[in-house]
Amino acid sequence: MDKSRQVIVMFWITHIGLIFFLYPTEIIGSLTAGHWCAVLLGFLIHISMLAVYTKGLSQCAPLNVIDLFQGVGRVFAFAMLLPLAIYFIMIMIITIRAYAEIVTVIFLGNTPLWTIMLLFLAVSTFICLLGIESIFRTGMLVALLFFPFLILVVVLSFQNTDWHYMLPLMDRDAATFAYTLRRPFLKSLFAFVGGFLFLGFIPPHIPFQGRKIVLASLGLIPFFLVSVYVPLLTFGENTASKFPFPFIMAVDTVDVSWLMFDRVTMFFMISMLCFVILFLSLGMWVTLLMIKRGIPVLKDPTACLLLAAVVYSVCLLVPNWSAVERLMWWNTLPRYYAAFIIPLAVFALGARRRRMEAVRP
Amino acid sequence: MRISARRLVLFAVVLAGTLALSGCWDIKDINHRSLPVVMGVKQIDDTYKVLLLIPDATPSRTDVKIISQSGSTIDEILDKIDRNMENKVDLLHLKVIIFERSVAEKGLSQSVESFMRARDISNKTLTAISVGALEPLFDKLTSSSTSDGTEMYDFFEKNAGWSPEVVQTRIWEVFRSMDSFTRDVVIPTIQPGLSTTIESNGAAVIKNGRMVGVIDSDESLLYNLFKGTGTQGKIEVMNHATVKIVADRLTRSSELKEGQATMKGRLHLKVTVLETVGAPTEAEIKQEIDEQLSARFQSMLRAAQAKEADILGIGQYFRDKLSRENLRQWRTKYYPFMKIEFKVHVIIQDEGLLKMKR
Repeated sequence: MDKSRQVIVMFWITHIGLIFFLYPTEIIGSLTAGHWCAVLLGFLIHISMLAVYTKGLSQCAPLNVIDLFQGVGRVFAFAMLLPLAIYFIMIMIITIRAYAEIVTVIFLGNTPLWTIMLLFLAVSTFICLLGIESIFRTGMLVALLFFPFLILVVVLSFQNTDWHYMLPLMDRDAATFAYTLRRPFLKSLFAFVGGFLFLGFIPPHIPFQGRKIVLASLGLIPFFLVSVYVPLLTFGENTASKFPFPFIMAVDTVDVSWLMFDRVTMFFMISMLCFVILFLSLGMWVTLLMIKRGIPVLKDPTACLLLAAVVYSVCLLVPNWSAVERLMWWNTLPRYYAAFIIPLAVFALGARRRRMEAVRP
Repeated sequence: MRISARRLVLFAVVLAGTLALSGCWDIKDINHRSLPVVMGVKQIDDTYKVLLLIPDATPSRTDVKIISQSGSTIDEILDKIDRNMENKVDLLHLKVIIFERSVAEKGLSQSVESFMRARDISNKTLTAISVGALEPLFDKLTSSSTSDGTEMYDFFEKNAGWSPEVVQTRIWEVFRSMDSFTRDVVIPTIQPGLSTTIESNGAAVIKNGRMVGVIDSDESLLYNLFKGTGTQGKIEVMNHATVKIVADRLTRSSELKEGQATMKGRLHLKVTVLETVGAPTEAEIKQEIDEQLSARFQSMLRAAQAKEADILGIGQYFRDKLSRENLRQWRTKYYPFMKIEFKVHVIIQDEGLLKMKR
């Protein structure tokens, strides 16, 4: 049975959870006009890498990335997957710490960080322990519950927009791609990378079609554009660049008298947090696959709890927001590795496999 | 058997957890909180003074009390108030912030920025400027008969007492205008009324966070028309007739030739006749509305142009015609010399319940 639908929903959830908080900040920080250009460039990188990755995966169909790399050699597999594991652990730490901070800034002013981080980690560890099937099923449930809210908030967020702020559509800076080497833009790519690598680790009993995933990823373009353009159109570039979470600020300005709640931001935050928790459990599951293969002594509940403990203690060591941003910057190198090298390697191995099969039918 | 014992322990732990962790942290019950509805900010030399209007609900009736404190920054003052009060001051439900005129003339930037930064103050909070001193206004708010502290909010609220001659400006709009090249803002001015609690007589023109001029109520209506905030129900008084606007639409086009900005605005109004003096014809009424509104619009714009305050955000329409460098100089280089052609196109939808002379 084709389970592409579940995979697509999970794919959307993981991306949408990442888009709305840090991504608009980085894009607005990287250029002054023509932001769509940066968004679409990032997306182009995303979709082409995704296409390469799924193509490679479909060519070596029943194998996952770990088996594929191990087929070449143990050392090769170890060398290839170690940076990837580091990337995943880093991204878990950053995500937990960053979202805990966001939660305290936006609505739980009195709650200490450690409890929020513990909550995130406990829930995602629990889901992860139940296995990949439950992650996907939870994904379906969460999507059914929260997508309506999300759509409502996205529609409402256009309440205070002034379309003139979109102009000028282009300036010299955007046209020459000068922004691509700037730090914020390089950091912004995190929203495009974190979410699709899990495709290579899905076991064969959850079959999916790569082509459908690539098509489904086109559905993310509006969300990327909305997250950047709603704050820009509401506040203008000058003011939007002053906010650490521009999209949240823009949603905060929405005034709806017929809604029973004063702040629609709450709906939005809660659904985002559910998405992020699922993203975390997925990331944890992928990391555990790699760890368990690398250190066969570790069995499931122990390995999972151990990983959670490590992540949690590192999270506690991160003192402030600028440290989170520094971590994110340090993670750029593993991120590029994960974004480019892994899909290309999978593609190359897939091509080689097919050639070998053609020679020896 | 062993498994069931383990399950029992697990169950006990989970139960204990749910009981202990109710999801509240350092929670203060609602009866230990004070929820100010209105905040007033005034400035005497370098010290700020903050007045808070706090509804004080007892089972039988709702009273209002005023608390004031002064200090060098607004946060410090709020801290002091919090320290001295038996309840926790929670600004989450603050609805209106009133600045005294002198504060607005000196500059709102500092205070608006701290309001935006504060987590507990919503950026949707409405702003107003008090023409006179704050104390009489607050006294009036407490002494008025039905006072449960929400009059000020109801006055501005669209589904309550708001009327189209009153401008609604929220704190985030003021914040946006502070850094904008092309957009200034007006803040409604209020004063204690003679028979009503509050009286509004127009709005203050705020340029980059500083008050530079005033517009009157009629001009506020035009401002609302231009901004597109529904002006339905407005009664327009002229020499010959009174009409009610039932629908409005504004089309704009902008042009930039050799550094001369030109703006063409066309306001389409649908009106219904409420009252006539003498026997004017339809054409006369149409012409009169056009003349009156255009003249009023021109004079408001002249005044704003003289102050280099782009309250209508006309610069927005030139964003694609000017480079960013030139846009920076919009207020000084282009806006004061901008020409505007403003026409009002009136459709008289119906004539009320009486026929008019053809």
